[in-house]
Amino acid sequence: MSRDETLMKLFAEDNKPFALEDIKVAEIAGENFAGAIAGSLLAEFGAKVIRVDFNDDPKKISPYGVEVNGCGIPLLVESRNKEFVKFNEKVKEQIMSCDIVIDGMKPGYLDSIGIGYRQISEKNPGVIYVAVSPYGHFTQKAREFANVPDSDLTAQAYNGYPSLIGNPYLTGKYSYPLRAGIWAAWAMAGVNAAIGAMLALIERKKSGKGQFVDVATHDALAVVHAFPTIVGFLFDKSRTRYGTLDYILYPFGYYKAKDGYIALATPTDPDFRALLKIIKRWDLEPDWRYSLDRISDDPVKIKTLDEELNKELQKYTVKELVAKARKKSRSKLIGRFLGAPVIVKLNRLQEVLKDQHWKIRNTFISFSPNGKEILVPNTAIKMSETPPRIVKILGKEVKKS
Amino acid sequence: MRDYFSYVESLFREGEKREPPLKGLKVVELTHFVFGPNVGRILAQFGAEVVKIETPGEGERYRLAAVFGRYYNRTNLVYGIQNANKYFIAADARNPKARQIIFELAKRADVFVENFRAGLADLMGVGYGQISKVNPRIIYVSCSGFGQFGPLSRSPSFDVAAQGVASLAVKTGWEDVDEFYKLPDYFGDYLPSMMVVFAVLNALYYREKTGKGQYIDVSQTESLLRFMYDISYYSLTGEEIGKTGNIDPCASPSGIFKTLDEKFVAIAIMTDEQFKALSSVVEGLKGENRLRKEKIRELNQILEEWVSKHKLDEIIELSKKLGFPASPVLGDVEVYRDPWRWERKSIVKLLDRLYGEIPVPGPFVAMSATPGEIKWLARPVGYHNRLVLKKWLGMSDEEIKKLEEEGVIGYWDEMPGCAPPPIWDAEKDPVFRGERDE
Repeated sequence: MSRDETLMKLFAEDNKPFALEDIKVAEIAGENFAGAIAGSLLAEFGAKVIRVDFNDDPKKISPYGVEVNGCGIPLLVESRNKEFVKFNEKVKEQIMSCDIVIDGMKPGYLDSIGIGYRQISEKNPGVIYVAVSPYGHFTQKAREFANVPDSDLTAQAYNGYPSLIGNPYLTGKYSYPLRAGIWAAWAMAGVNAAIGAMLALIERKKSGKGQFVDVATHDALAVVHAFPTIVGFLFDKSRTRYGTLDYILYPFGYYKAKDGYIALATPTDPDFRALLKIIKRWDLEPDWRYSLDRISDDPVKIKTLDEELNKELQKYTVKELVAKARKKSRSKLIGRFLGAPVIVKLNRLQEVLKDQHWKIRNTFISFSPNGKEILVPNTAIKMSETPPRIVKILGKEVKKS
Repeated sequence: MRDYFSYVESLFREGEKREPPLKGLKVVELTHFVFGPNVGRILAQFGAEVVKIETPGEGERYRLAAVFGRYYNRTNLVYGIQNANKYFIAADARNPKARQIIFELAKRADVFVENFRAGLADLMGVGYGQISKVNPRIIYVSCSGFGQFGPLSRSPSFDVAAQGVASLAVKTGWEDVDEFYKLPDYFGDYLPSMMVVFAVLNALYYREKTGKGQYIDVSQTESLLRFMYDISYYSLTGEEIGKTGNIDPCASPSGIFKTLDEKFVAIAIMTDEQFKALSSVVEGLKGENRLRKEKIRELNQILEEWVSKHKLDEIIELSKKLGFPASPVLGDVEVYRDPWRWERKSIVKLLDRLYGEIPVPGPFVAMSATPGEIKWLARPVGYHNRLVLKKWLGMSDEEIKKLEEEGVIGYWDEMPGCAPPPIWDAEKDPVFRGERDE
């Protein structure tokens, strides 16, 4: 059997148990999708998740308002394996008995209606209460901003993210901070919250007790990436937009080729030298030899090299560049000392969806609510014993595409 | 009844504290750059004992990757924070005896993490098949660009490549500028690595019940695709959302606007209730079909105009009073100096035994009873050789000395990022000598 076949067999999903099948979760997240993402991750691993809503607002949130059976796309995607219920007194009892409660509402709201940590933990000391909000549920700032609802864009902004995206050489409107094209802050905060829940669950096995886990979406990226702290401490000066450059490695970004775009990275100096050979610009080598020559906190300095690379790469097609980067040296001995740039084609979504690789891996699943097929991203995790998987979307069974 | 915020604060400040959730968990990592190493970093924040194996001399290549090439006290803080709380041993995997040591460590581990090109760990003799045979309880993780199987699996990857392949890159930028930008700070590494941590904890939870270990395969690209709602949008409408500049197509109005005092504010209206709140102060906002493409632009123009006549502070005050999402757009220095983050312990001052007082990000999540902790920065290459070989494998000083002489294990080259601070003295460091723990 080939390695691929062995692995596909190992990761096959058939009749395997779920890791969290004994866990009950209440997701009360309203329009805070970081909370919904946390619930989804637990649900993918088999936890019984009830999503409790007070109104239909979360369903109306969708790119350009597109809906499927009255439900917007984000909630449809995050409905995986969940049961949807409307809030009422009976549901309150159900919430009280859960192992994990995800609170994505405004801080203090659930407490005010009798289902905050204070009330639940009194009856159910093992409860793990995961709060997800812009500034958390404690500190002076959290109190002051309790009435400000969350959004991914505002969370990106407070994490310092948009200040780093864009082209440093552009001016006017194009010099504004720029949004990351997906819900980057909410995705990270959601995963962070799910990990917090798991840490508490593992600890509960020893102590028998639950605890309060607090996630601030406005900090979820910065606390993981660490760069703002390092830059603030070492330089006392914020980085500018480095969307086309990088502050550790250069080149490390997207470039135009003759017929499309490529992602290009040269992690080491030999990789950079290999790139110069590929594009036949060895003349640039003396000035830009070491990674330290190519890294500067002054984007003006690297501009000359950046312009040269941009000009040169456009002489080749994407296919040519990708092939040249993969070409192995005929001599094994020399090959070890020669680098190779990482070059891949910049895909459009349609190209991703057509790629056999993702079909083989079941990266997307198909769901047909009214006979029309809709693709939904599958779980991103493969596991041999307890594979996470999607059984239902919007309460309906799904099939693998 | 006690005020809610003081009540929660008291849980975090004075509530019962218990042992770290992952105390006693042994992790071995053969990792480099960000994707693999961040897994160990997060597990170590909550008590896991993480041993990182590097090559003698240079260690892993990320040791040299300092922001703008700046080192501090001869260490690289990027690497230092990325690998905080870990134990460092340096054994050259090209040497069969060193491979045996790596294997022996893996045999005793609960979790093994690698992020080489798919298949390489097998060739090194430390693949899942090889380790699980002697240690069936092992939770073995392979982190890669495109996953362990499938036609793309052997291709090399980096954050920037994964973002490109996932078509995330073509979504970020200005609609009318022919360029694409990456999500900064290695999002394509960090997000997937957090997915791995989640998977590992699930595997651990399952192992507690059954005693069984397992194999985990997480790819950068799939982790990014997981959050692309565009996939469903495209399959439904036949259109790609593509670049939308500063507009969140799920929010209207939404964008980043310039205020009267020349600052930037992000505003994103998610619900009708928030829209109502905003329209009570912004004249001319009408809400019907507010999520339609052309309507978002129209509303944004009105909002842009309004923002340009108000100061940032005024807008933030209104958002607090009326309840709509608004935030200043921070830069690195503002994030770093933000009193809220220090109060929350998202940034803390670490007093490191080797490098002195250094601000570092705190634990990635706040937990009331089992708060995480940042205890020490990454150490020089091979710094814990003696400690780990004694503690994990029960080796004697003589055996370790022999391994050093034979070049099976080794130490740092005199380079920044790899070596100890200039004033460090081996004779006076009992941890380095393997006489006591950190």
